This record gives sequence, structure tokens and C-alpha cells, in this order.
Amino acid sequence: MTVLSLFSVPFVALVLSLWSCSVLASSDYHEHLLLQPLPQSSLLASFNFRSNTSQQSFDQQHFRHLPRALGQILQHAHTKELHLRFTTGRWDAESWGARPWNGSKEGGTGAELWAWIDAPGDEEAFAKWITLTQSLSGLFCASLNFVDSTRTTRPVVSFEPTGDHSAADQLHLLHGTLPGEVVCTENLTPFLKLLPCKGKAGISSLFDGHKLFDAAWQSMSVDIQPVCGADGECVVQIEQSVDMVLDIDRSKRSRSNPIPRPVPNEQLICDTSKPYNSDDTCYPLETSDKAWSLTEVFGRSLNGVCPLADSDGTSDPSVCLRVPHERGVFISEGAEEIKKEDGFTRCFKLASSAPFDLSIPQQPVNTQVPLDEPVLHAERTIVGHGQERGGMRIIFGNPSNTSDVDFIYFESLPWFLRPYIHTLHATITGLDGVPREVPASEIVKETYYRPAIDRERGTQLELSLSVPAASTVTLTYDFEKAILRYTEYPPDANRGFNVAPAVIRILDTAHHSPIYIRSTSLLLQLPTPDFSMPYNVIILTSTVIALAFGTIFNILVRRVVSLDEAAVLGSQSVKGRLLGKVVAIRDRIRGKSSKVE
Amino acid sequence: MAIDRRKIAVFGAAFVLRLLLICIFPSLPDLLTGRVEVSTPVSSFKRLQEGLFLYTRNVSPYDGGVFHQAPLLLPLFALLPDAKSSPLPTAIFYFLVDLLNAHALISISASGQSVQSRLHSAVRKHVRWDGVSVAALFLFNPFTIATCLARSTNVFTTSGILFAVSNAVGGNSINAMLALGFASYLSLYPALLFIPLVLLCYDRRLQGPAPPNSTSFIVQHGGLLLATVAGLLGLSCLITGNFWEFISATYGFHLLVPDLTPNVGLWWYFFIEMFDSFREFFLGVFWLHLASYVGGLTAHFRSQPLFVITSLLGIFAIFKPYPSISDASLFFALLPLYRHLFPLMRYTFFAGAAILYSSLLGPAFYHLWIYAGSGNANFFYAITLVWSLGLSVLLADVIFAAIRDEWEQENPERVGLKVRQV
Repeated sequence: MTVLSLFSVPFVALVLSLWSCSVLASSDYHEHLLLQPLPQSSLLASFNFRSNTSQQSFDQQHFRHLPRALGQILQHAHTKELHLRFTTGRWDAESWGARPWNGSKEGGTGAELWAWIDAPGDEEAFAKWITLTQSLSGLFCASLNFVDSTRTTRPVVSFEPTGDHSAADQLHLLHGTLPGEVVCTENLTPFLKLLPCKGKAGISSLFDGHKLFDAAWQSMSVDIQPVCGADGECVVQIEQSVDMVLDIDRSKRSRSNPIPRPVPNEQLICDTSKPYNSDDTCYPLETSDKAWSLTEVFGRSLNGVCPLADSDGTSDPSVCLRVPHERGVFISEGAEEIKKEDGFTRCFKLASSAPFDLSIPQQPVNTQVPLDEPVLHAERTIVGHGQERGGMRIIFGNPSNTSDVDFIYFESLPWFLRPYIHTLHATITGLDGVPREVPASEIVKETYYRPAIDRERGTQLELSLSVPAASTVTLTYDFEKAILRYTEYPPDANRGFNVAPAVIRILDTAHHSPIYIRSTSLLLQLPTPDFSMPYNVIILTSTVIALAFGTIFNILVRRVVSLDEAAVLGSQSVKGRLLGKVVAIRDRIRGKSSKVE
Repeated sequence: MAIDRRKIAVFGAAFVLRLLLICIFPSLPDLLTGRVEVSTPVSSFKRLQEGLFLYTRNVSPYDGGVFHQAPLLLPLFALLPDAKSSPLPTAIFYFLVDLLNAHALISISASGQSVQSRLHSAVRKHVRWDGVSVAALFLFNPFTIATCLARSTNVFTTSGILFAVSNAVGGNSINAMLALGFASYLSLYPALLFIPLVLLCYDRRLQGPAPPNSTSFIVQHGGLLLATVAGLLGLSCLITGNFWEFISATYGFHLLVPDLTPNVGLWWYFFIEMFDSFREFFLGVFWLHLASYVGGLTAHFRSQPLFVITSLLGIFAIFKPYPSISDASLFFALLPLYRHLFPLMRYTFFAGAAILYSSLLGPAFYHLWIYAGSGNANFFYAITLVWSLGLSVLLADVIFAAIRDEWEQENPERVGLKVRQV
């Protein structure tokens, strides 16, 4: 359990403790905010909102905390479990460590949606899925209606239902991604409207689109699943969460003066250990103990507690902060600070109606909050040059010195990227740093591959892999880029096409819930035709064809004669006779005129 | 046996040349396999390997967008060792197929059908190359060598056509139909050669004893062709299991042209730029256009079915949906049989220069478009236009020469006079 980090302990504990009490109450609402400064003057803010509705009242359409709009969509589309993600930016695992919630509340760049739909067959499930995406598209102001058959996959081993489903349901998992979706404030507003306090009170009052979408990384998620207790009573649980990593310096910059300016010389703190350090050369020293306050970072203060939230004292207080206990924290009047035994976490009990703010002054500290080391590093890039073909390279690094990592690698590729799976190669680099070529079957235990069909469906590739301890595995395969019809290109065709991030599900028995990692999305350059000349092409090609056709059939249908015969024939034709008459008339006129002279 | 020794020398030299090329430049086959001028979506060796990979792992290769070649190629290549780890056996197999094609070409030339047939006798009979020279021109044609090294599956279609013709001129009409059935099964379009080929067989049969009834002869042979194709399809069905899936992935792919990967032909850019609502209409027009030459040429050259086949192969090399230089190489292989027409041709320099120009500039312009980014798609498109134009000028010129030859045959007193068409 040492691998299970201290960082993720609060999340897991929170989920477990709240889950256990959620079973008791049929309808309840909880919200929670965790703030944690990260290296490189970043701040992780994890917002979580969760409510339950009993299955019975859900079926009867008695909605209290569960939003009616969403509930009716689910009932209409026969969706039993739904997961929706809107993500932007990149989680920097090398400096920030493992992901919040073990990556389970995170999506790939853009929008990602997967759901378990109850339907008798595949086609019915797909029809319901289309209904679902169309409705969600309207509800969240997102382009989810573009999740068509080419962007939909049916993963086999990468996802498992997190809820408790009855055995009678014929569940179909469908998964769709929109890597090019630009997540912005128009998605945040409907997201906030689903909350009982709608961003007016409680921790949701901190949300400001300008700050949220200015973050280095942010992920919004909506999860709906049925949860059953030991007594067999089931509730429908909706969990919404927002995780974001803000750059403290950037967020503190006032909106009236948004242009970053160099730090004045006298305020620079230089790294004097550098050999080139002198009066005019300075390597700025990074201070991890930046001063900040909620109002500065989020642009607004927290408006008390949401009156609908459970605050009977049994559950955790809604706002927690992870900094060493030696660090001083100033909080607003009326709030109460509770320090936990782990030495790093402190939570705040908020006054019900007064605005809350907390501020941390700059202060040298000796201890740091330990960050969790990720179980696996993964990186995916497109290699090669030119717009004709390329290659995919996926690098998996196992930082552990003792244990192997088993995981599922899942990627869905657009149909115009044609992978050649027979070129799949694996290379292992051990501690010695020497890459060794190994047969792919040594690393890949199982493959589930469903090739793409042009304009019908995308490629789906699921690999079950194992990376040995303290080694790096590189997988490569070749692909070819298809050329599309000119109407199939977007207006910015030369920007390239987004390829959805790969999803990695780590199978670790030490964790109750699987760990998910998502790679960054990729940009694929396709060959482009000249968009300006459809008419020219039609005309030129038709000319060449007409030239060939005309010449050949002209030769075939006409009669061959020698030149003297041609002259005779020419004089016999209508044209020849007319010409002869004209010549005769001309001669007569000339002859007369010469006589007159 | 001087001729036999020459044949062995030519075949041996062709074999050694190919072997030397892959030994000195081991990456050459893969380079050529990736060239769009050589490998098309329906003949690419890389796609064949992908299909083979899926086939050997019991995944249907036709349930995907990559593999569109005939199913019988799969068990054939499954027998050969893996081309990635040991490329030599596969390469030698292709070399042997090339030599077999050359052998068929020698027997076509030896029959003399190109100059002297039942209804036709060329004026300049003595102006001709012997079979070994024709085979040498085929074997040392850079287009043939590139196709062979790229391991394009077009060579099997070429074999089918050449064997069909060589059996037909040899009087073995049943084998001719079997070979044509094989070629049509592989790539569909050789079925258009049925009419001239059956006429060739009929003419051959009339020269022998017991002349058959023409209608029943054609019907019998048509039935034989259908039976061959049906038999091969039945065999494929046993291999793939799902009949409609492979039919739509292979013949549907040939007919509907969904993959617009650049090639030397005229279809790809036209259908990229075509407006969506007119795509089906022009697809029909293009196919009708391709088929229209069969009737015209066969009707006009009733006396020379072999010439009809040759010129149709030239038409296919230009107007097929997925043409490559291997189709042009097949046309250039049969052209030397008509050495006696060369003195009557008028635009050989222009056609030859256009073909040479486009085959040199084509790869350069493709590079400018795809890799350097300093040119756009129009560069390569323009070159494919020049290529098609050059080939069609050459073809029209050959047809004109054949007509002139027929005219001189009818008017022996006017041989050598200047002519014109009215």
C-alpha cells in the first residue's frame, strides 16, 4: 500500500466515507473542494459535487437534486450509466505527480463521452446512443452531435461499469470522443446549472469562466450511475467534478493589467549557486511558497455554504487545503480550522452565510507536501514526415524498480488514418539504456483490433500490455494518410486533423478502482487537394478524356483515302461544289472587269 | 538451338539484374512498394501483408478499409515465408512470375498472329522482331522491373491476360478462357477483353479442321468464363466465409472507387474535386466510357482481334480507376508485336517525349506536393494529365497505323502514298 500515495488517500477516503453514508439517505447532496499547491507555482483545485436520488423516485420522475433535464434524457435514451468529460490542457505528470482521482474523473483533450445503454441489440443501442449524444449536445452546448459512427467505438476491456447494474439489463458500452472540441464558458454555464446551488452559493460560487479556462489543465466531469447498498436499496448517483491546475502568478495578474512584465531587478531572487551568476546575469530562483488567496486566484470569494448541502457534522467540511501544518493560513471570521493528523491536511468549517476567503502569506517552509509518483509514464507521438505516411510511437515508462505494470492500452483512430498493424514493433530499454528489439507478442499479451472502414467507422485498437520493472517500452507502427474528398475537409484543412488521445487503464490489484492515464491528443496532417479549382479539374480531366475518345473514334469512323482521291472527293461534296461556284463567279467578274479596261 | 540459347541468356540476365538490384539496394523493394505510381490500393504489397496478417490471425481482412485484393492471394502468400524477415523467397517468386509472363509473350510472338491471321495479312510482314527480342523489351522495361520489385499483385493479372492471349493464339481456347477468368477474378476489368479474345479463339479454330458454329462457340466460351469465375468465387467463399463482405470489399471497391489515393490515372483527382451530388453520375459515365471502346474497336478491327486486345490494354492503362505503371508496362509489352506498324506512325516522338517527361517529372512533383510542401496537388495532377495524354496520343497513333496498314492491304497499288481521312 506504500504505492498508494498519500496524495490520493484523501480522495479515496472521501469517496468511501461519503458513499457509505449516501446509502442511508435517499436524497442528499454533498460538495467538497480540495486545494493543493503544486510545484512550479501551480495550484490544484478539485471541486466535487455529489447527490443521490432513490431509484424509485428517479423512475417516477421525482427529481430533487438530480437535474430534471439530464434525468429525462437518460430515461429517454435508456442510459443506465453515463460519463461525460470536458478537458483542456495537459497534466504535467513529471512535475505534478499522479493525477487527481487516479485519472478516473478525467477525459482526453476535448470532449469524451461513454455510456452503458440498455438495448436488445447493437443497432438499437446505437440508435439510443445517437439520441443521447444529440440531447447532451443541446444540454451542454457542445458539438456532441458530431459523435457519429466514425467516432464511436465499443471498447471491450478498457472500461467497466462503476455502478451496480441489475443482471436483467442488456448493457452496451459505447464510447465517443471529440478531440477537437474547444471547451469554454458556454460548456461551464450548463454545467453549473445542473448544480443545486447553481454557482450562487457554496464552493461553486468560485467558478469564473475566465479563470477556469485560463488554467494550465482543467477537466470537468459528469458521472451518473446507479449505486446499490448491501440492503438492496438502490440510488441513482450523480457526481460532478471540476479539477483544475491554475498558474498562481498568471491568475493573480489583475484583469486590468494582463500583460506580464519582467520582475524589477531589485525584486529578483537569484540562484547564487550558478557559475554564471553575477551582477548582470541571474538565474531566477523558483519559490514554491508563493503567497496567494482565494480571492486573488479565483477572482471572487466563496459565498458561504450551499444550504442544500449536508452539514450535519457527520461528513467532512467542504473546503480542505493541503499545505504543511507549519504554514500559516489566514481565514475569514466565522470559519473554523480543523487540522488532520497526517500533518498536511487542514479543513475549514464555513460560516453558513458569510463570504469565506483564505490567504497564505509568503513564508519559508522546510517540509513539502509529498507528491505521488505516477505508476506509469506514457507518451504518444506521430513520427515521420510528409503527408503520405507516418508512424505512431508510444513510449511507456515503468518507474518502479520492483514490480511490472499490467495495463490496457486503448486508442480509437479516425478512418482516414490507416494503421498497418502488421508493422507493430516493440523495443525495450532496460536500466542499461540499450534498446532491444523484441517481438511484439512478448510485450502485448492480447490484442483486440477492429479495423476502420472508410467513412463508416474508425479503428479501434485495444492492447493488453505488460511493462517490466525499471524499463521503457516503445511501440511503433506505420500508418498511411488517406486523401479525402474536397467537401470532407474542414475550412482549416491545412491545420490538420485531431486524433483522440489514447486511454490507458492500469490493472493494479492494490487499488480498488482502476487508474486511468490519457495521452495528449495528436494533430494529423493530411494531403490536401487544391480547394479552389473543382471546375478546372473537371474541365481539364474531361478535356483529356474527350481528346482521347474523340481522336480514337474519329480515326475509327472515317475512311482512309490517298491525297489525290481526297481532292476528287472534295470537289464532289456540297462544300466543294459551292466553292467551285464561288470561284467561277469570281473569275467571271474579273474577266469582265479586264475586258472593260 | 541458337534461339533457345538467346532466350536463356535474356531470361538469365533479367533474373540476375533483378537479383542484383535487391542485393545492392535492399531497401529498394520497400521504397517502390510505397510509390503511388507503382502500388495502387488494389495492388499494394503492403496492403496484402496487412490482409495476410489479419487472415493468419483469423480476423476477416475484408472487415476493414485496407485490404481489397482477391481472397485466393491470401493462402498463396501464407505459404511463402514472411516477406519482412526473409524477403528473398517472395522476391524470387515474383521474378519467376515475370519470366513466365515473358515466356507467354514469346509464344504469342511466335504464333505470328500479329502480322498474319485468318482475315488479315500485314503488308510489311518482314518488318518484325522475334519473340526473344519482344520478351527482352518486356523484361528490361524499367516499368516492369519496378512493378516486379515492388511486388505489386498486378503481375498476376498480367499473367492471366498474357496466358489467356498465348493460349488463344495457340488454339487452346479452353485454357484461354480459364486464364481470362483468373485475371477477371483478380481485378474485374479483364472481363472486358472477353469479346476480342473469343473472336481470336474463333478465328484460330476456323483455321483448323471442323469449323464450329459461331453463336454456339461464343456462348460456350462465355459460359466457360462465367463458370471459371464462379468456381474461383466459390473457392474464395470457402476461404473467407462471408461472401458479400468480400464481394463488396473487392469488386465493390473497383466499381465505386471510394479510395482516392493518388495514382497515375485520371479518376482520383476528378472524384476528389467532384461535387457530391454528381459523383454517382460521373462514376457511371467513366465506366461507360471505358467499356465503350470495346465495341468500337472490335467492330472496326474484326480481322485483327489481337490488335483489339493490345489497344484495349492501352485504353485500360489510361482510363482504369486504379491504373499504375504496371498496366502501361503490359501495353508496352504487346506493342513490339506490331513492329510492322512503327513506320506508319506519325507522332512517336511527341508521344515518347510526353511519356518520358511525365515519368521523370511525376516523382519529382509528387515529392514537391507531399514532402517538400512547396507545390500543391495540381503539380502531380498536371503530370498525370500529361502521362494520360502521351499514352492516348501513342494509342491513337498505333490505331491510325493499323488502319493505314489495312488500307494498304486493300489497295496494294497505293502502298507508300500519302493518305488522309475523310
